[in-house]
Amino acid sequence: MKIFYQTFGTVKKKFSNLLNQFFKKKRTRIGIYGPPNAGKTTLANRIARDWTGDAVGPVSEIPHETRRARRKEDIIISGANGNTVTMDIVDTPGVTTKIDYHEFLEFGMEKDEAIIRAREATEGVAEAMHWLREDIDGVIYMLDSTTDPFMQVNIMMIGIIEARNLPVIIVANKIDLPDAAPARIRSAFPQHPVVSISGLQGRNVEDLYETMLEYFG
Amino acid sequence: MPHKCTKCGREYKDGSTEILKGCESCGGKKFLYVKEAELNRDVLEEKSMDEIADESNEEVLLVVEPEKKQVEMYDRVETIRIVAPGSYELNLEKMAQTDERVVSVGKEGSYIIDLMSMAKEEPKKKHRKK
Repeated sequence: MKIFYQTFGTVKKKFSNLLNQFFKKKRTRIGIYGPPNAGKTTLANRIARDWTGDAVGPVSEIPHETRRARRKEDIIISGANGNTVTMDIVDTPGVTTKIDYHEFLEFGMEKDEAIIRAREATEGVAEAMHWLREDIDGVIYMLDSTTDPFMQVNIMMIGIIEARNLPVIIVANKIDLPDAAPARIRSAFPQHPVVSISGLQGRNVEDLYETMLEYFG
Repeated sequence: MPHKCTKCGREYKDGSTEILKGCESCGGKKFLYVKEAELNRDVLEEKSMDEIADESNEEVLLVVEPEKKQVEMYDRVETIRIVAPGSYELNLEKMAQTDERVVSVGKEGSYIIDLMSMAKEEPKKKHRKK
């Protein structure tokens, strides 16, 4: 009986693959990438809330709150001119080259908990990179516009994304903060579209949706 | 007001954090909260603290130690660990599985991640027919 179900499963899978090939039904899978604390989950939550009414994950001011990639499927985004695009949004853990548990202690976290967080965050980076290698069709690269965009990680990541020929939209987030400088991000990455938003307040997200339709549609 | 170890009767001052690690003398994990007046009841009445614990209605404090997880080599996130300058520990199991390089510095909780090693395409396995 077990064998029957197994063969049935593979046959079903093969058949659905065949159908997909015929109808070219392929969803666009968009990964939200960026350094820790750029506001990736806040944006993922906003997109999910705006178009499906759900949330994706919890947010926190402590870096590396998201340590596993989270996916929200079948988000249908429609633009002003009636265009729509169906996409899966993948909220990924913040990508960085250095993780030290000491940085979490400053937020009042216990040492043991901080060490576990550091370990999970490291695994999270590997997971985020794994998704980028395997399963992403487009990237939203989030940056905190109050910080220096010329960080090594950002240059490296944009380089990796470019090398994979993935379409990328750069989001200059946190424009609600007084020392936000989205122009700095624009000048750092002139080769890519840059959209300034406040994910927290929802400012200018319509602009982002239009850009997403244009580049990922 | 003090706590007493139910196993050996050692006294601990109220609010002492030492008991959280278990009794220093015998390693006991159960402590009874005793009134000052009854502090030496166990000796005077020649009873064990366990018996007194049963008689009194005070709640016995049980110290639960968090289980220490033994992280196996292959469970670790890092491929290379810098134990001390010039001293390295290699996680061969992980190195064999993947090209991803994560270096851990010091004892634990501090990592350096080589993003470029993670951006590489995994070599496609060739299917050989027998």
